[in-house]
Amino acid sequence: MSVAEPDTSAEPGDAGIRWQRPSPLLLRARRIQVGLVTAPVALAGGLIAAAAGSPALGLGIGLGLVAAGLLWERFLARRVAAWGYAERQDDLMVRRGVLIRRQSVVPYGRMQFIDVTAGPVERSLGLATLRMHTAAAASDARIPGLDRAQAAKLRDQLAALGEAQAAGL
Amino acid sequence: MTGPSPGGSPPPRLPPPPPADDIASWHRLHPLSPLVRAGRHLVGIGIFVILFLFANQRGSQTGHDLIVDLVVVALVLGAGLVSWLVTRWQVADGVLRIETGLVRRQSRRFPLSQVQAIDVVQTGLARVLGLAELRLRMAGADSSGGRLASLPLADAERLRQRLLSMAHAPGTAAAGPPAATSGVAGQAARPERPLFRVRSGRLAAAIALSRTGVFAGVVIAALLAVIAAIGRPGVTASLLPVVIGVALTVWRQFNGEFGTAVSAAPEGLRLRSGLVQTTAETIRPGRVQAVRLVEPLAWRLFGWCRLEVDVAGPRQRRENRSEAQRLRALVPVGSRADAERMLGELLAAPPWPTRRAPARARWKAPLAYHFLAWDGDDRYVVASRGRVCRKTTWVPLEKVQSIRWVQGPVQRRLSLASVRLDVAGRRVTASLADREAAEAQQILAGLPDLARAARHGGRASRGAVNRA
Repeated sequence: MSVAEPDTSAEPGDAGIRWQRPSPLLLRARRIQVGLVTAPVALAGGLIAAAAGSPALGLGIGLGLVAAGLLWERFLARRVAAWGYAERQDDLMVRRGVLIRRQSVVPYGRMQFIDVTAGPVERSLGLATLRMHTAAAASDARIPGLDRAQAAKLRDQLAALGEAQAAGL
Repeated sequence: MTGPSPGGSPPPRLPPPPPADDIASWHRLHPLSPLVRAGRHLVGIGIFVILFLFANQRGSQTGHDLIVDLVVVALVLGAGLVSWLVTRWQVADGVLRIETGLVRRQSRRFPLSQVQAIDVVQTGLARVLGLAELRLRMAGADSSGGRLASLPLADAERLRQRLLSMAHAPGTAAAGPPAATSGVAGQAARPERPLFRVRSGRLAAAIALSRTGVFAGVVIAALLAVIAAIGRPGVTASLLPVVIGVALTVWRQFNGEFGTAVSAAPEGLRLRSGLVQTTAETIRPGRVQAVRLVEPLAWRLFGWCRLEVDVAGPRQRRENRSEAQRLRALVPVGSRADAERMLGELLAAPPWPTRRAPARARWKAPLAYHFLAWDGDDRYVVASRGRVCRKTTWVPLEKVQSIRWVQGPVQRRLSLASVRLDVAGRRVTASLADREAAEAQQILAGLPDLARAARHGGRASRGAVNRA
């Protein structure tokens, strides 16, 4: 739980909420994901343009796509930094988003079940995503990039709290 | 094989034994259920047979086609018969058990304490045969509620009553049949109090003026104009299905909401509706997740509105998916007074949206600004929104599943924010849109505590349903 340092850079009205952060490795995971998408797309785009037009056009389009990927990467750091969660006494609070900022409050008693998933990239870095489900389809509370052990611990903790406060429908 | 047998055989068997102990043993469904279940296919096949007969009047293939069709009909009926033979149900220890399946035996248990509602549904053919289907709606997210298709109508009604009373008090059902029966008898003796009945003419007019109706009218008029202008049989034949399809959606809504009647019964609000296919369902007190008042532009001219409720648990059927998207309309169309009276039955002293959005929200939502408002007390939150059609949503705080605070880039520039309250069910959300940022933060900070207090203390002060 090395990440449990209180965070001061937040929106107004945050007083008293101790935000916890996903693992710093999340940024690397996201970067790898962006790279894995950008490289083949740029390669394919460049080759197709080279085959259809001239090699120069292909090179230009390929480089353009790479530049787009790099631009995308620039925003990653802010988006990753925006994630945060806080275990409060009766509910879990999750916040995310840079352009559209969101904060969700999910009472422990409303949790129906909790998922821990890990994609190939996350798995290779020892990360996992925790997702909480309530009876409402619109509820949207997930925490990406948790240390796998920490995710398991949080899951058990949340499950226990949910059981203790279960409120049904 | 139609008329007398369904009406004739069950009554002599059922009244003599008190229904208390007879549901504890294993039962079969009504012998005609395969026919009802296959009804839809039979009608389709019948149409095909007639079409083939017309088309191939001189062709030598007619007999062959007919044989193929008959084989299909026989297969469908045979499969239905086998499924009927291996299906049985039982109610014991507060659990409805349905066993079915020939190759893959399946035994399903439905704990009655988790039943959200029980519907009695009659399709057209079932109505002719005096049969009905019993549907149990559970709280789960999938559509696999219990279905008992089909039972004689009277039995279905009686079983519904009994199951509902057992659902209220599972202990008595398990312990002593006498207690359960007397309870049912006592409840059944109390008359239902009628609350609302939709006027057929007004319903037709309202649907014609609704978005569905106007859209359907425009499409049908355009297509008919095309058909008339071109007039070739090929074009007509290809466009006609579209016309029929559009007309069917309108018809389905009219059929579903025709004759909607709501009355207050001891076990909750009783809702009956339907022209060809009738549905009777009970909305149990404390199961209402959200109430919504809808006022489309054209309806406001006449002072009409529509009151819908969202009850936990899906209402999904493969054949009418459009129905699954909609909420249950307690007042499909009625005057404002009708809706307010019904609202009073569902919620105790509900607040009305009075706190308007700040004036600068006009920049972000120029069309919706005039309807943006909310209010709340310690039991309910109400929020209204909409551009031309005003939608007002009430959510009991004890039903709130999660609370979301959202701020988009334009809102941030204007220092606004929205708060959304999610309830279980089909994406009903009370959206407190475009509030002052500070107010939104305050709501986000305060509502969870209010909701928790409502959850814990709200058991006693539930909605005013069935306070006669």
